[in-house]
Amino acid sequence: MHSERHEELVSLAALGLPLEDDAAEYARLLEEGCPSCEALLPELRLAASSLAATVPPRRPPASLRDELLASLSPAKRPSAASRPSASAAWVFAAAAAVLFVMIALDDARLRRQREELRAHNSDLAAAVESSRSEIARRDLRARVLESDDVRVLFLGGKGPQPNARAKVFWSERVRRGFLVAGNLAPLPADRQYQLWVFVDGKPVDTGVFDPDPSGRALFESKELAANRTAQNFAVTIEPRGGLPQPSGPIVLAGTPSG
Amino acid sequence: MKPRGQPEDRDRSDRTLVAEIQGRDSDALALLYDRHAPRLLGVADRILGKTGEAEEVVQEVFLYAWRAASSFDPFRGSVLAWLIVATRSRALDRLRARRPATSAQPGGPDALARVAARDDVEAGSASREWEAICRAAIGGLPDDQQRALELAYFDGLTHSEIAERTRAPLGTVKTRIRLGLMKLREHLRPYWGKTNA
Ligand SMILES: [Zn+2]
Repeated sequence: MHSERHEELVSLAALGLPLEDDAAEYARLLEEGCPSCEALLPELRLAASSLAATVPPRRPPASLRDELLASLSPAKRPSAASRPSASAAWVFAAAAAVLFVMIALDDARLRRQREELRAHNSDLAAAVESSRSEIARRDLRARVLESDDVRVLFLGGKGPQPNARAKVFWSERVRRGFLVAGNLAPLPADRQYQLWVFVDGKPVDTGVFDPDPSGRALFESKELAANRTAQNFAVTIEPRGGLPQPSGPIVLAGTPSG
Repeated sequence: MKPRGQPEDRDRSDRTLVAEIQGRDSDALALLYDRHAPRLLGVADRILGKTGEAEEVVQEVFLYAWRAASSFDPFRGSVLAWLIVATRSRALDRLRARRPATSAQPGGPDALARVAARDDVEAGSASREWEAICRAAIGGLPDDQQRALELAYFDGLTHSEIAERTRAPLGTVKTRIRLGLMKLREHLRPYWGKTNA
């Protein structure tokens, strides 16, 4: 039965902030369902948005507009997009695309990951920046980031390296992806990190990589065979050059999807 | 004044632009940007202070509009409202990341006090109309309701944080929020174009 208390809960929810002591009751309300509340919520969200009309507008610097338009996928602006000298613009575009990927993930399961990703954004930006010299690889990364089916998976540190962090950007359509990692420990010269993609529950080698001295890595995977769906990712420590099957300790792993 | 959702300007309405953006028309995005970026930056400024971060948020929002234009639901309000919601949630995410527990109080003087002297940004007529309606609605709220809503909306304070900040009982704060939002809704409702998708 719709009530004043319902309106209160929906009002608080409409502001999009933690509900604190009211969270449980609101969850119950959602579970039980109340048509009046369901109609009310979007209206109160809109009502709250009217506060935005009370702040003074500010015209953004012109550079912001230029950067924005330059970072759009090349579909309709071939002249601006295929300029090879625009490496800085590309780095920016990649960073923007990465941000986009993060903000585009509205799946509730990924929401938390998104927040963690945001928190690591500076690492990421630094990693992207450090890749400036590897512009040759930009095509793959752009293809992954721009593909409609791009997924972002957060890998948490395991075993010997609990503080290691990584994100994998993966496109099923491109059949490849790339990994951005931080806090990786340096390895002896005869060891390397190896990235595995799990297909049908089995690890498949996607290549080896070395972090930079600060423990960061930006690594692009090998291509996965057609018709195989990546379920999860992990990083292990292996003899230099890698092995066909993992043998060393797992240092990074994601949560299986599906 | 013709309130609900008339074409926002002589050329193309916001909704038309969003449809064109879905079709990967970057000119449409540029036009949408020119139309609304100042307003969105104002919101991000109010939440984050006039920082580069606020500008980044605006950029993120338009990238989001570019890639996720299809997530715009014409039955849930205007394009501008959609962009504002996106701006605020991103700005608050950054604000929360910035302040571990408490501290940092961006914004400064009350929003309404700063509205008056403002004209260097020329808003479209539909936007101006919308702003006038909103300001009238908010100006009609009792101060304590207005204050509670501003603290929640711009400073991202939860109701218990608002209670602490305004030294009011928790129940009172919740009531202020409810009454304030319900009143705004009543006031603004006639202007929401549920029928002009
Ligand atoms: Zn109800």
